[in-house]
Amino acid sequence: MSNNFIEFSKPFIDAAKNVFETMVFTKLEPQKPFIKKDNVSRGDVSAVLGMSGVLKTGDKGPVEFKAMFVLSWPYETYFKVASAMLMATYTTYCEEISDAGGEICNMVTGNAKRDLAVMGYSSNMSIPSMIEGAGHTIKYPPGTKIIVIPITSAHGPMFMELCYKEE
Amino acid sequence: MTLKADMRILVVDDMATMRKIIKNMLTQIGFTNIQEADDGSTAWKKMEDAIASGAPYEFIVSDWNMPQLSGLDFLKKIRSVESLKNLPFLMITAEAEQGNVVIAVKAGVSNFIVKPFSAQVLKEKIDKIFNK
Repeated sequence: MSNNFIEFSKPFIDAAKNVFETMVFTKLEPQKPFIKKDNVSRGDVSAVLGMSGVLKTGDKGPVEFKAMFVLSWPYETYFKVASAMLMATYTTYCEEISDAGGEICNMVTGNAKRDLAVMGYSSNMSIPSMIEGAGHTIKYPPGTKIIVIPITSAHGPMFMELCYKEE
Repeated sequence: MTLKADMRILVVDDMATMRKIIKNMLTQIGFTNIQEADDGSTAWKKMEDAIASGAPYEFIVSDWNMPQLSGLDFLKKIRSVESLKNLPFLMITAEAEQGNVVIAVKAGVSNFIVKPFSAQVLKEKIDKIFNK
């Protein structure tokens, strides 16, 4: 795993902690990351957001990069997260909570983008998309490495995934 | 400018979740007359209808990134109308970069809030707008 990938992932962890504390009223406990070898989601509901941009560092020329940020939740966790965020009780997946994960993903990436800019990454974000269903798969950009950061919280487990590639 | 509980507020965001969160927060703060639009162009139509009916909106809370008409273009459209030049407009964005703040200020935003935020932060921003 390149140093740039490790450096790139830190702002997402900090931003996720901030977003969950402020909007979902819960603390996140990130666990030991691992490299993912397949494309099957570890959760039942996933929010996916793509990024692309340029890394400018002092010692070498600009490098283009592609990245993707994914948050996946088992259904039970997703219902509790959406319920806390929207101050209502949800026990099934429905239209009303279908974009809650996307909004969380959007906020995390938006915040991470600010810290990444300080580190030399200028980036563009896509609009988040949602995938729902047990055992769903995620389409990662070809040739990228994927790391999974399992997270525990009072609402249950969730999974943060990041993939990153320099071109 | 004074703050009234029944002030006519329009919340503009393409994400239903965010509209609901903002509406919940505004209700928590004490506001009672809150309407929603899912995009800048829908919001503009609602504004025109409200003006025509003699009950124009008194405060706009809008997201920045939206399809059709972005929050920034919606703000510029509002500021291009003489009678709406001073309409309080709070811009909300997930992208926290300094450059965005400068662009929004130049376009005439009343205040700016970066997601994530609490009801308390929203209240402080509203107080700043209406106590200028």
